[in-house]
Parts: sequence; structure tokens; C-alpha cells
Amino acid sequence: MLRNTTRAFAVMALSVPAVLGLGGIAEAQDKFKLGMAVGGNTCCEWMKAQGDVARALAEKEGWDYVELSNNNDPATALKNAQIFVQEGAKAVIQFNGQAASNPAISAVMKQAGIPIVTYDIADPGMYFVGIDNLAAGIAGGEGLGKIVKEKWDCNPDLVVSAEGAGAGIVNEWRTGGMRTGLGNICPDIPKEKYVSFESQGDAAVGLPAARDLLAAHPDAKKIAVVGLNDGGVLALINAAEQLGRADDVIGWGQDGAFITGDNVNPHLVGSVFYFLEGYAVYAIRDVIKPIAEGKIPPLKADAGDPASKVQPCPVTAEQAKAVPDMAERVKQLLAAPAGTTEYDLFCPNKG
Amino acid sequence: MSVTPAIETAAPAVPLKVRLGGWGTGLMLLAVWLLLIVATGLYRQDFLSHQTLLAVTFTMAVVGVLAIGQGLVAISGGFIDLSQPANMILASLVAVRLSEAGMPLAVVIVGAILSGMLWGALNAAIVVFARLNPVIVTLATNFIGLAVLFLVFQLAEVPLNSEIYQFGRASFLGLPAIFWPMLALVLIVGLLMPRTRYGRRAIAVGGNKAAAKARGISLKLTRFAIFTIAGGFVGFASVLFAATAGPFNPGSANTLQLNIIAGVILAGISLAGGRGNFWMLLLSVGFLSTIPTSLVFFGLSSDTQSIFQGFILIIAVAIDGWRARKGTP
Repeated sequence: MLRNTTRAFAVMALSVPAVLGLGGIAEAQDKFKLGMAVGGNTCCEWMKAQGDVARALAEKEGWDYVELSNNNDPATALKNAQIFVQEGAKAVIQFNGQAASNPAISAVMKQAGIPIVTYDIADPGMYFVGIDNLAAGIAGGEGLGKIVKEKWDCNPDLVVSAEGAGAGIVNEWRTGGMRTGLGNICPDIPKEKYVSFESQGDAAVGLPAARDLLAAHPDAKKIAVVGLNDGGVLALINAAEQLGRADDVIGWGQDGAFITGDNVNPHLVGSVFYFLEGYAVYAIRDVIKPIAEGKIPPLKADAGDPASKVQPCPVTAEQAKAVPDMAERVKQLLAAPAGTTEYDLFCPNKG
Repeated sequence: MSVTPAIETAAPAVPLKVRLGGWGTGLMLLAVWLLLIVATGLYRQDFLSHQTLLAVTFTMAVVGVLAIGQGLVAISGGFIDLSQPANMILASLVAVRLSEAGMPLAVVIVGAILSGMLWGALNAAIVVFARLNPVIVTLATNFIGLAVLFLVFQLAEVPLNSEIYQFGRASFLGLPAIFWPMLALVLIVGLLMPRTRYGRRAIAVGGNKAAAKARGISLKLTRFAIFTIAGGFVGFASVLFAATAGPFNPGSANTLQLNIIAGVILAGISLAGGRGNFWMLLLSVGFLSTIPTSLVFFGLSSDTQSIFQGFILIIAVAIDGWRARKGTP
């Protein structure tokens, strides 16, 4: 009798955590879960910040949040998509700088019925949130063109493009767009004055190639530099300083990574802010939150007609002095009312 | 009329390696390097300019000092230190933080070297005392180091107009200021290795462990010291790197590894240990640093250099293996 009572008591005692656990599972299943795959390229601190902002916004909404890194590797990005499915994510955001795996990721998500947002690099099966890279490139090129016109009467000796071929079409849009924008202001620069080098979008990695390019054009003095990002442009500027030829070098970058703070190279005369770290505001406001509320928005996968459009913010170095550095921007962004973008908060040149 | 058979008057055949006194590797490297320079100069005369010299010597500076560290590990039988990228980024970060704190260049240099030595000692402790394969250990510490560094920082840069920044842009006798310490270090290490007790010990440990042990040389202490000193060279290279690189991130040094290993092997420093002349590093690193510049003058992207470097590495490893089998220097 006593033994049976003990058994019954033990069964009841053991059942409590099981019941609580089942309850927890049920609650977790009800809770909206957002998956975020960050780019994972060590080149740029905004990649990590994209995850930090998404996490903070998801927590504000009371959602569960799972973050994985694509490690700038297409195979890892695909594996991450499969993990999100296993994890039961209800929606996913990704930045995939190596876009080769996007069609496969798209197929995995479609099969699992999970909507996915892609930043900046479009895929037919994903909601596009991002910048119009070509427009951003042209805006930057025109900004540089105005300075080239004023300073050199549109007659530079060389126009150098700091390419980042790994970024694929984004590189073509941004860097090519900058050349187009420069040409809009200074249409008579001869084609042979346009040269390029592979910077890999990294100031340190691109430096030797930048020095080699300058060595191969020993007579060029007035040099205008455009590029995929600020880092690539800085590679050429640093190379010119080291070869004693920086007096007449001016560069205009993209992404605004090195145009704020108190360590800005004086030859970097401008950049285009995308405020990349704050993209999650657009994605959550226009795609993820409606999905969480059961109002699934129509799939807009085209960069020309995006689910949410990020506005480029071209600034001169002088104007950029008024823009806080990234850590401060993130702090102010997270303190702002829901849906407020960094463009709203910080762009000195609102269109 | 008498005809003297040629066979009687011909000088006795002397093997090429004996006639060259072990300098065959150097002469071969010099010839190939000169061939590259002449070919590029013929294609485009402006290749032979001061700008080209600057571009090549800037590249040589960082790679050259790293190659000394790698060469020390190799000659002492440690094979290869694959953790140089993580070590260099860590020491560069130390250099940046010290220069941000307004420390004079001398303190920045000492701090970076100590950081590098500490890293080297950590590798040494695992390799020597746990008796683990140095390649696997340094591969692992590189992965761990880079991952931790990525958690610690995303971008770093020495302050504009700091002493170290100016050092990276200064020149002396028409060449980059950062080139001269590299030149001095290669010459000094090349001079000391075969002529000092410690240098000979390092070579002996790499060449024949049993014989070295029989001579009373402590294998553990020698290896420990070599890894630590090699780490110090990486620390110094990081000063040259931080002085010139501009903003860098934890992954910025990864691309250097192939060039450094190729430079060491081409210089004839055996990966199996026990053989090598550090002076040859000047030729091998110079040759490898000229290739990308030449490619640009030929109208090819310097990005294609990896193809050439890959082939050169295969050829160099094949020559290294052939030397090891033949027992030639």
C-alpha cells in the first residue's frame, strides 16, 4: 500500500515538469520566431550590427529570435536556411553577400512555407529590402563629379574604380553607377582615363593592388577614385600617400563606413550612407510585422519595385561631420519610435 | 702533328652545386627575378621607375619580416606556423590601441613584439609540452584567434598623423622607411643563424633530432624559444602592417599566408627543417612581390597573381622535396 502511494506520488512529481515543459512548448510554438542570417564577412562592422538591430527590434516585439552567420559562404548560407526550417522560424531575414546560393535558399524556404527577406541582393522568391544600388552609385558619382568639375574643370588624369568582384551585380551597380554619375557631370572624360583594380572592398587587402595600379600610371597626378565601398576607395588613397602622390587624389566611397568619426582621411571627400546596420527597421515594419499579424504582404522581389526601399544618402565629408558614428546611430535608432529609419534621423540631405 | 684528345685536356667535371658553393638557389632566383624585370621593362619601359620600386618594396617589407618568422619555425623542424594571420592581427590591434593612447612609436613597437611573442609562446606550449603536430595546432589557434578577434573588434586603424602612421608613409634613401628594418632583420638573422650557438642549435634540432639530443641540446627548450622568437617577428611585422594598411579587420591578413610560405620554400628553407639560408628570402620575397606589379604592367589584373603564386608554390614544394631526397643544400 505504502509502496503504491510512493509510486503514485513519484509519478505525479515527475509529471509536473513534463506538464510545465509541454506548456512551454505550446507557448513557444505560439510565439512568432524570426530567423536572421547575418552576412558574416569580417570586412565590415555593419554586418554584425545588422543582427544586433534585428535582435533588439524582435525583442521589442516580444518575438523569439534566432541568429546565424552565413560566414560569407554560399554553402553555409544554404545550411543556415535548413536550420531555420528545423528551428521552426516563421519568417527569415538574410544578408547573403555570396548570392550564388539564393535560388537554393529560396526553394528551401518556399517548400517550408517560410517567407524570407533578402537585403540588397534580389532573388525572385524573396522579399527585397534594400537600396537601389545603381541610384546610390549614380548619386555618389555625381557628388564626386561636382568636386572634379570645380577642382579640375572636369579634367582628371585618371579615374580609378576600386572594384569588389565578389559582390557581383552590386559591384557593377555601385561602381559602374559611380562612373555613370561622374560622367553625367563631366561627360568629356576620355574612356582611356578610366582604370580599375580589385580592392575586394577591403582597404588593407586591396592596398598592394592599388600601389601596383598607381605604379603602372606613374604620370597621373589628378586622380579621382570611386568604388564599391569606402574601404576600397581608401586602399587607393593610402597607396597614393605611400607612393608620395596623394596631393591631388580625391575619393568618394559608398556605404559611409569611413566618413564619420575623428579619423577620416582628408582625401575621402564624400560617401553615400545606406545606414546598412538599420535595415531591420524597414524589413520588420514593411514585411515581418505584417506577417506576424497574419497580414501577409504581396511578394515584391524586384529591386525596382521592392517590398521596402532604403533611400541612399549622399554626403560630402563636411556634411558627414554631423552624422554620429555607427554605435551612436544604433543607440538612437533603438530609442526612436517604431518604424523610424536612420535616414529619417541622420541624413543631412533628405531628398 | 699531334692531336691531343680532348678528353685529356678537359677540366675534371665538377658538380654545379659544388662550383656554386651552395648559392645555386640564390643565383637561380636572381636570374628568374631579373628575367621578370627585364621582360616587363621591355614590354613597358616605365616599369623601370621609382614608383615601381616603391610599390614592390612596400609589399616586400611586411611579407619579408613574416617570412623570417615562418623560416625560423620551418628550419627548426616546426614545419609551418599557420597562425601567423591571427597573431599579426592581434599584434596590430595592440599597436593600434597603444597608438590611440598616444604612446610613442618605440612603445608601440615593443608592445606589438611582446604580443607576438606571447602568441608564439602559447603555440609553443601546446606544441612542445603537449607534443602535438604544429601544423594542426597552429591551424587551430589561427581559427580560434580569428574568431575571438572578430568578437573583440570589427575594424581598427592607427590614428591619422600618429607617429606610426607617419612611419608608414616616410621614406629613407628613396625607399619606404618600413623596408629598411626588414632588410636589416633578414641580413642579421641570415648572418647569425649559422654562426651562433643558438642559431646552429635551431638548425640542428630541425635537421636531426636524435643527433641534436645526443649533443645535449634540449629539443623542448629550443623549439619553445624558436616559436616565441618567430612570434616576435610576426609582432614586428604587425607594426609595419598597421602603419600602412589603413583600416583593417580580423580577416585582413589571411591573403598574406600563401605568399609567405611560397617565399620561404623558394628561398630554399626546408619545411622538413635543418636547411636554409635566410638571405635568400630577399630574393624570393622580392621576386614574389614583383609578380603582381608586373602583371598590372602587362595589362592583367593583379588579382590573377594567385594563379601564378599557386603554380610557383607547387614548383617550389617539388624542388624542396627533390632537394630533401638528394640531400642538396
